[in-house]
Amino acid sequence: MTAQRRTRVTSPQTRIALARRHRGGQHLLRVPAPADTERARLVFLAQRRRAVGSMLLLALVLFGLSGLVAFVPALGELRVAQFPLSWLLVGVVAYPVLVTLAMWHVRAAERIERTAGPGGAVPGDPGGAGP
Amino acid sequence: MTAVLAIGLVVLASLAIGVYGVRAARSTPDFLIASRQVGPGYNAMAIAGEYLSAASILGLAGLLLKNGLGTLWYAVGFTAGYVAVAALVAGPMRRSGAYTVPDFAEYRLGTSRIRKLCGCIVLVIMLLYLVPQFKGAGVVFQLVSGTPYWVGVVLAGLVVSASIAAGGMRSATYVQAFHYVLKLTFIAVPAVYLIVQAGTDTRTEALHPEPGTVFEQTTVVEFTVDTTFVVHEPTTVRDGQGQPHRLEPGSHTVAGDEQRVFPAGAAVPHPQGLPDLGGEQWSTPLLDIDGGHPLVGTWSTLMALTLGCMGLPHVVMRFHTSPTARTARRVAVGVIALLGVFYLFPAVYGLLGRVLTPQLVLTEATDTVAVALPAQAVPGSPGVVLTALVAAGAFGAFLSTSSGLLLALAGGLSHDLFSGSVPRLRLAVVVGALLAVLLALPTARLDINVLVGWAFAVAASTFCPLLVLGIWWRRLTVVGASAGLVVGAVTATGAVSTALVLDPSPGWAAMLLAQPAAWTVPLAFATMILGSLVGRAPDWSEHAVLRLHTPRHPGPESG
Repeated sequence: MTAQRRTRVTSPQTRIALARRHRGGQHLLRVPAPADTERARLVFLAQRRRAVGSMLLLALVLFGLSGLVAFVPALGELRVAQFPLSWLLVGVVAYPVLVTLAMWHVRAAERIERTAGPGGAVPGDPGGAGP
Repeated sequence: MTAVLAIGLVVLASLAIGVYGVRAARSTPDFLIASRQVGPGYNAMAIAGEYLSAASILGLAGLLLKNGLGTLWYAVGFTAGYVAVAALVAGPMRRSGAYTVPDFAEYRLGTSRIRKLCGCIVLVIMLLYLVPQFKGAGVVFQLVSGTPYWVGVVLAGLVVSASIAAGGMRSATYVQAFHYVLKLTFIAVPAVYLIVQAGTDTRTEALHPEPGTVFEQTTVVEFTVDTTFVVHEPTTVRDGQGQPHRLEPGSHTVAGDEQRVFPAGAAVPHPQGLPDLGGEQWSTPLLDIDGGHPLVGTWSTLMALTLGCMGLPHVVMRFHTSPTARTARRVAVGVIALLGVFYLFPAVYGLLGRVLTPQLVLTEATDTVAVALPAQAVPGSPGVVLTALVAAGAFGAFLSTSSGLLLALAGGLSHDLFSGSVPRLRLAVVVGALLAVLLALPTARLDINVLVGWAFAVAASTFCPLLVLGIWWRRLTVVGASAGLVVGAVTATGAVSTALVLDPSPGWAAMLLAQPAAWTVPLAFATMILGSLVGRAPDWSEHAVLRLHTPRHPGPESG
C-alpha cells in the first residue's frame, strides 16, 4: 500500500477535549486578545450589521412572498405558459433570488474582511465601542 | 426486480467508494472531518448530496400530492436555510476550530459542562432526522420488492452502518458528492421523460387542478394500514374476492392488508382531515397545517426550516472540511445553487401523481408516489426502467443522508458524551443505526416531511440560538445558554410529541403544536438573552467572539 502519508489535523478545542480525560478538569481555553482589539471590534460590528441586514432581507423575501400568495389570490388565476403565477413564484423564482441574496452577502462580508488587513479602513462606526 | 438490482448497484458502488476510503481513516479527526483535504467543488456537492435526503425525493413529491402546492415551501425553506448558514455561521464556525456544536459551545463558553447537554440534543435531533430516512428506505424497498416494510428498514440499517463503520467521513465525502449527481440524474431524467410521455391532456390536467378527482380507470387500491375515508356519492367497489360492496355516503373504514377495486369514473375518496385533492386549498401554495391559518402555518414552517438548518449537527460539521472561513462561506453559496436546481423536480411527481395515481392518497402511501408513478404513467419496460432509476435514486438519497447523520450521531455519542477513539466511534455508529431502525419500524404511517420538519424545529429552537448568540453577541453566558437550550429542547420536542400522541382537533392549538417553531424559537432566544443578562460574561468572552470574525492572515487567502 503506497498511500500518501496523511497528516493529522486537530483543532485546539478537540485536542483539549481529547486530552481532558487524561488530566481531568483543566481544560479552559484561554483565548488571547487579538493583536489589534479596536480594529477587530470594528470588523465584528461591520460584519454584524451586514449579517442583520442580510437576515432581514431573507425574512422579507420569504414572508413577503408567502404574504403575496396569501393576500393576492389573483396570482393563482394568472397563468404564464399554463402555470399559475403563484406556483412559479414559489417553485421556481424563489431559488435565483436566494442564490443572489447569498452571493451578495458573501461579497460584502469578504469586502469587510479585506479592509480588516493592516492599513485597510474598516467601513462605518467610528466610535467602535463594543455592544 | 429490475428496481431491486438497481438498488443493489447503488449500494455496491457506495460500499466500493467507502472501502476505497478506508486507508485514509486512521485517527478520529480523519474519521470525522476528512482531514480538510476535500476540494471546494466536491465539498459543495457533498453537502448538497448529504442534505438532499429521502425527504427531498420522496417526501416533497408525496406531500405535494397529499396536501397540495403549499409543500413547495418546504423546498424553499430547506434552501433558504443555507442563506442563513452563509450569512450567520459558516465563516465564524470554521474559524472557531470546533468540529461539532458541543465543541463550539465549549470553546465559546469555556466550560465542558455544557458539552453533555449539547450532546444529548444532538442525539434527539439526529434520531428525529434518521427515523424518516429509514422509513423512506423501508417504503421504497417494500414497493419495488414486495417484501414487508421492516425488511427494507433493517436492510438499510445494515448497509449504512457497514459502509460508515468501515470508512468514515472521508469516504462519506466522495460517496456524497457522487450521490448528488446520482440523485439529480435519477430524479430529473425520469421527471422530464414523464412530462413528455404524459401527453397534452395529462399535462393540462396537472396544471389545472379541479376538485373531485375521479379514478380514470378501474383501480385496485391496496390498503397497507387501517384507513378511514369519506365517500360523498354511493359507490360500488369490489373486495379482494370480487364481492361487490356498496359504499353509502359517509365515512368508511378499511382494514390494512385488504384491497378494494374502484370502478372507472368513481370519485377518489380521501382520508378524513385532508384537503380535497385539486381543491382551492390544495392548489394555493400555502402550508395550511390546521385548516384555518395558512399564512401563519407557512411562516412557522419556514422559520423552523430556515433557522433549523444551521442547527443541524451534520450541516455544521461539514464546514470544517473547508480550508478557510472564506471558502466555507463560498461553499454555502454553491450549495444553495445546487439545491435550487434539484428542487425544481420533486413537484413534477406530485402534480402528475394527482392525475395518475390519486389512490395513493387513499391508502396513505403518498410518500411512494415518485416510485409508483413511472410504472403507472409509462406502461411496459420503459416504466420498469424508470421505476428502477427513481428507486435507486431514492435509496441513494437515503444512504448518503443517513451516513452523514449517523456520523454526527456517532460523533455525539462517542466524542461528546464518552471518549473519542475510532473503535468506539464505530460502535457508536452501529448503536445509532440500531436505535433509528427500531424507531422507524412503527412510523410507517407518518409523513416523511412531517418528521423531518420536527427535526428542523428542534434544531431551530436549540442550536440556532446557541450558535447565533454565541457568534454575534459577546454577553452570552453558560447559564443563559444552558437555560435556553433546555427550554428550547423541552418545548419543541414536547409540542411535537403532544401533537403526535393527542392528535388535537384542528385550530390554533393544533397548528402551534404540530409546527411549534413560531413560538419555541423566540422563546429559546429570549431565555438565552435574559439568562445571560442576569449574570456577567467573563472578560475573555469578547476575545472569543472577536476571534471568530478576524481573518487569520490578511490578504485574498485570508481565513
